[in-house]
Amino acid sequence: MLALRTRGLSKTFKVKRKEPGLGGSLRSLFRPQWETKPAVRGIDLDVEQGETVAFLGPNGAGKSTTIKMLTGILHPSSGEAEVLGLSPWRQRAELAYRIGAVFGQKSQLWYHLPPVDTFELIGRVYEMRRDEYARRSRELIERFELGPYLHTPVRKLSLGERMRCEIAAVFLHRPQLLFLDEPTIGLDVVVKQRIRELIRERNRSEETTVFLTSHDAGDVEELCSRVVVIHHGGLLLDEPVERMKRDVLNRKTINVTLADPVSDAALALPDGARVVRAEGRTLTVAVDLRRTAIEQVLATWIGRVRLEDITVEDPPLEETIKHIYGMRQETEAGA
Amino acid sequence: MEYRLSFALLAGMMFVNNLLWLFFWSLFFNRFPVVNGWELRDVMMLWAVGAGGFGWASVLFGNFHRIAAIVSSGQLDVYLSQPKPVLLGVLASRMSVTAAGDLLFGLAIYAWVGDRSLAGACAFALGLLISGLLFMGVMLIAGCLAFYLGNSEGIASQVFNSFVSLTTYPADIFRGMARIALFSIVPAGFISYLPIGLLRDFDPAFAAGALAMAVGSCLAGAWLFGRGLKRYGSGNAIAMRS
Repeated sequence: MLALRTRGLSKTFKVKRKEPGLGGSLRSLFRPQWETKPAVRGIDLDVEQGETVAFLGPNGAGKSTTIKMLTGILHPSSGEAEVLGLSPWRQRAELAYRIGAVFGQKSQLWYHLPPVDTFELIGRVYEMRRDEYARRSRELIERFELGPYLHTPVRKLSLGERMRCEIAAVFLHRPQLLFLDEPTIGLDVVVKQRIRELIRERNRSEETTVFLTSHDAGDVEELCSRVVVIHHGGLLLDEPVERMKRDVLNRKTINVTLADPVSDAALALPDGARVVRAEGRTLTVAVDLRRTAIEQVLATWIGRVRLEDITVEDPPLEETIKHIYGMRQETEAGA
Repeated sequence: MEYRLSFALLAGMMFVNNLLWLFFWSLFFNRFPVVNGWELRDVMMLWAVGAGGFGWASVLFGNFHRIAAIVSSGQLDVYLSQPKPVLLGVLASRMSVTAAGDLLFGLAIYAWVGDRSLAGACAFALGLLISGLLFMGVMLIAGCLAFYLGNSEGIASQVFNSFVSLTTYPADIFRGMARIALFSIVPAGFISYLPIGLLRDFDPAFAAGALAMAVGSCLAGAWLFGRGLKRYGSGNAIAMRS
């Protein structure tokens, strides 16, 4: 059964054009010029119930605008959408009972109040029965380990603690479909990992459909089964994450700090690994996972060089998307 | 309550601030005991009904004069993603602390110089209702301009300041076009004439007109807000609810 369906969903914004400087400001005052900026261009998308979909794209690609149309916050310029069988902008209130949305940059927690007060309010906003609210909030507080700071004003929480509260709050009313817009933005590795685990657990135990935007390849790899990439407001790629990992997410970067200056022994790498930067005691190596494994690269160093620190990173998602965009253009040119 | 001292100071200072204005008016009326039929007691009741109305509206619906800022900075997203009426959610999600002082001031002045009979109390309560609804209706309409003009915080702020100022002067000192404007474009006259038309010499036509204008402006504001939501463009500002 479909959780979400869009056909030709588009959104354009009318934007005032202003030349730089004081002269430009004065000209714009007397002779304003407007331009139409397409943010989303005719997106067709089907998402099945229970799916976990990563909705990716570089900044300005139209991800947040699409989510805002699907949650009824924005009205589209043209096209149609059905979310859980309802029109988001015509049946916004009815739909809101069945979906949840976390906007990483917009908090639904009251800044000066402790999370427990916001939870209480959300319970009433979603008209939860008191016994159901008590049971559900107890369960989420336990699973999200919120006990120690439940009664602390939100302004005194760390970003990680706040995001855990945000995500727990959105699960309170048992949404069937969850929109997550950059839920791990600005969080450290440990907190990101915990939040991913909690979302995955909810997806499995309650079959919550997850529709997620992120700039973090880790979110996509660990949470999602399907990836949809948009660029310049249009769909660029729609395929299983496994295939994307095989075709595109097949590079890692190893950053090494050595105990001694970079030597020939440190630069002797297996095929598929190449030195990106060697400076003083630091070395950056790019690894093509189709040709060699991270452990093989590490094995060449063990016993031959003295290592102080190692980090393994995914390439930035923007770079990956550019890569996909390049591949797509090559394919189209070939055809 | 998280900031008790801050609350007490802010509410107390607003109370004292209003009292100071009445002190200046008392100096004026010492020299001119009656101005166009208005006495000091009427001006005191004008402040009671104006400050009290603004007070209850701001305590219960503290965001009513921040609509323009909320719309133009894209802060409606959270309200739109919840299943309750958006406008009610926005208005009620903030309580103005200083306004508690205004409300207390209004009640204290009424207790001091007002008609404390049952009929007098009912008339004062109706005055507070009309005054608060008018403040909300006018600011709601001004705030909704943000949907149509983009950033209209400046205009909304001007409307707010003008409206508040005009509600603190006796309606009868204005003549001609100014008086017409006071009962139409900027309907502050429906508040500033309440001490006479509702509280002193009850005029049913004026009372009905004031109530109709108050309810009508709120309904017009709500309609504009609903229409405006279709034009809402959201935004990317980082926002917390406070």
